[in-house]
Amino acid sequence: MVLNDADREALTVTGVYLGSTVRSATIVVCDLAQVCLENNTRGFELMPISSALERYSWLREQYFFKALPADLDETVSRCAKEVDPLGFFLHVDKGVKIALPVQAAMYMKNEDIVQMIHNVIILEEDSELQLITGCLAGHEIKTGTHIAIEEQYIGKNARLVSTMVHAWGSEQFVYPHTGTVVEEGGRFESNYVSLRPAKHFVSNPQSWLIGKGASAKYLTVVLASPGSVIETGGTVYLNAEDTSAELAHRGVCTGGVMNQGGLLVGTASCKAHVDCAGMLLFCGEGGYIESVPGLRSMHPDARMSHEASIGKIAPEQVQYLMSKGMEEREAISMLIRGFLGTDVEGLGAELDGQIAKIVEVAGHGED
Amino acid sequence: MSKSNGNILEIKDLCVRVGTEEVLNHIDLEIPDGEVHALLGQNGSGKTSLMMAIMGFSEYEVTHGTILFQGKDITESDVCERARLGIALAQQRPPTIRGITLRDILAYVFRNEDNPEKKISGLAVSSRLELFLDRDINHGLSGGEIKRAELLQLLALSPIFSMMDEPDSGVDVEALSLMGELINRLFTSDPDHPVHRKAGLIITHSGSILRSFPIDKAHVMVNGQIGCSGNPTILMKHINNFGYDSCIRCMGAR
Repeated sequence: MVLNDADREALTVTGVYLGSTVRSATIVVCDLAQVCLENNTRGFELMPISSALERYSWLREQYFFKALPADLDETVSRCAKEVDPLGFFLHVDKGVKIALPVQAAMYMKNEDIVQMIHNVIILEEDSELQLITGCLAGHEIKTGTHIAIEEQYIGKNARLVSTMVHAWGSEQFVYPHTGTVVEEGGRFESNYVSLRPAKHFVSNPQSWLIGKGASAKYLTVVLASPGSVIETGGTVYLNAEDTSAELAHRGVCTGGVMNQGGLLVGTASCKAHVDCAGMLLFCGEGGYIESVPGLRSMHPDARMSHEASIGKIAPEQVQYLMSKGMEEREAISMLIRGFLGTDVEGLGAELDGQIAKIVEVAGHGED
Repeated sequence: MSKSNGNILEIKDLCVRVGTEEVLNHIDLEIPDGEVHALLGQNGSGKTSLMMAIMGFSEYEVTHGTILFQGKDITESDVCERARLGIALAQQRPPTIRGITLRDILAYVFRNEDNPEKKISGLAVSSRLELFLDRDINHGLSGGEIKRAELLQLLALSPIFSMMDEPDSGVDVEALSLMGELINRLFTSDPDHPVHRKAGLIITHSGSILRSFPIDKAHVMVNGQIGCSGNPTILMKHINNFGYDSCIRCMGAR
């Protein structure tokens, strides 16, 4: 299968630019095949997971279903049974800091595809990587199922910044599962942005901070529109001294159902905060936002806090901005953009344009 | 320039309601072009309500009367239309907004200008607010810093009619001198002719701003009405000596 210009254009919606000089490597999975692989940078390996399994006998034994249990739920179990999985293997050597982002796309070009992905990302000690992953359906595509497992291993003092941008069809089912293990001094930053909601989306990424001073930071930005059910969570286990975690959810609901969750589990001296914020513009038929940030402290020196807020756009804020000369829609757009706070590193202006479209959709809801 | 008897602003028999409460009661007010007036009065007398109604905030519902700006009836205009006509307001308690910075607002104001960043940093330096440009607007600012941030935005907007709600409250002596300097700059229309000024309206409780900035006329508000109008120094002195009770008694005797 060859990607045409329309496919290339579709990928840019999620920040994936084929042939770009501002990316160090690219891998694309289209429907049920790996179709594109570019890597011009030394210091790391990027290959289809099937090739890596053939090449490295230790991969399955040491890294398959070690950051996520194979029996986590029905969809993970289904993936675990795949003999020849789709997906990629990314390995960054010790001390290598990749200057330009690596990009990956999981693209569903046709209707009714069931795409099952398994990615493994390993950052050795003192390495750094910025990863942009675009998961999307073609522009006219409505149906299909995407199940993904991503296992990430961040070594001592290594840093992974993962930006994941999704854009789905209105009748699709999407179940990504991410497990991340962070060793001493390692840092994991995750930015998740959903541009076009699926019919049903469930994500509960899990992180295990197992080394002293390890940290995890999640920002999840989603839109729920009529007919969609969006469940975003995140569980971080702070299992070592001086670990820290921040979990932030920002959701705009223009109808549909949005569940914001998140659980921080402190078993050592640590610092953690979870913040759920929802902007409910329209309920539509039975739409709502439910926020349940959770904390579980199992150590007296675990300093943990949470907050949650749900509201509409405050009229006094709109009028305040209008008093600076903005039209009502401009003011609402600025407020939503500010609320979402998607200052995502590494993405181009095209993505900003897509985010502006979400803002515009939400802005219409206020009329 | 005024198209209505030399007045930039004319308010005729204005009644305003917030929810079910009448907050302004048959207000008449004229401000000639080039004049800056002060509003005096106790807390709750209607000063802020009058400014919010002039700016067009929808919570302040006009139930009777008209507001003319440069001879144009703006009673039904929304806040944006009034802002674009050249009316601006520095609020006493502006909202805090998550994710929107002072720089964002200034960037919007200067969106059609060459080199907006230079203009933004220049204004921030002169207002001593460089450190606050990239913070959420009004978040964690002291009373005096909020006043300066609001005034900075007025300077950026460069309106032809400026309103300020208590620019001198909660401001220390040193900052008050800076505020006076910035307010003078705001109202200056021609540096070579200091008598030629832009028009405006300022609410003050303490009158301390009057010492660093000349006011043409003052109006005392009592219970949503304008009690009397006249020389600001004389009125302020009278209020300092006898309090607003004398104004209330005077209004009651009419």
